[in-house]
Amino acid sequence: MADVDSAVREAVVEALALDDDEVTPESTLMEDLGAESIDLLDILFRIEKGTGVKIEASDLGDYIQGGIPDDEFSDDNQIISAKGAEQLHKVMPQTDPSELEGKLNADEVMTLFTVQNLVDMVKGRADGAGG
Amino acid sequence: MPTAPAAELKLRVGVDVVGVARLERVVGDDERRQATVFTEHELAYCRGKRRCYEHMAARFAAKEAVLKAFGTGISQRMRWTDVEVVNEASGRPRIRLDGAVATYAKRHGLQDLDISLSHTEDLAFAQAVSVWEQPAEDPCAST
Repeated sequence: MADVDSAVREAVVEALALDDDEVTPESTLMEDLGAESIDLLDILFRIEKGTGVKIEASDLGDYIQGGIPDDEFSDDNQIISAKGAEQLHKVMPQTDPSELEGKLNADEVMTLFTVQNLVDMVKGRADGAGG
Repeated sequence: MPTAPAAELKLRVGVDVVGVARLERVVGDDERRQATVFTEHELAYCRGKRRCYEHMAARFAAKEAVLKAFGTGISQRMRWTDVEVVNEASGRPRIRLDGAVATYAKRHGLQDLDISLSHTEDLAFAQAVSVWEQPAEDPCAST
């Protein structure tokens, strides 16, 4: 399998038509790099081609939410719960749960997802697949 | 006897534009990639059209417009195939929901949903309008 860090970085650079030095591990895909849904689709297809690891867009939500039911992850107004904030910190270690709990809207979660978070997810999938 | 406060209706609009050539580059003629985004019904419809990728791009834009009109992106375990564009006999498009998107719609009180599509050789555009029922706050309720 190709080096995951390089493959993910290459997928992001090519899908978003960026210069290599514009993409850092800390770059958020949507906020910093301006990725939209079709870009996300393009990135995931390119990662699959480069690493053999298949990830669908809906898998991102599953990964981020970690199996926590919707009504425990956020309240009726879609605001992240303490349990949700702790889960987000597990998959996005750069986040501070105290800054998210009771403040972040569930719709905004993907805006925090970085290139490094994607690398970690792909590596986890690769390991889980025995690869 | 006091009556329950009437529910309020809330309108949300979503729009999206997709480049036809971009969509063609991303999904191409790869059937598995196409099936990630489109339902069998949508694919059969598009493949029957001379400008297949224009119709695919319009449907992708429709899915995005609907999710924007829901106030969410493709972020909450939703699949693109959960939002399907179907055409009435007149040709007018309408939306059929499935899976996590249908669950979200039910949970949050979706009352109505409409879609309009347009496309050229280069761009596809979709606008969705959604109507949600929101229980009105009871002015007599204690806080």
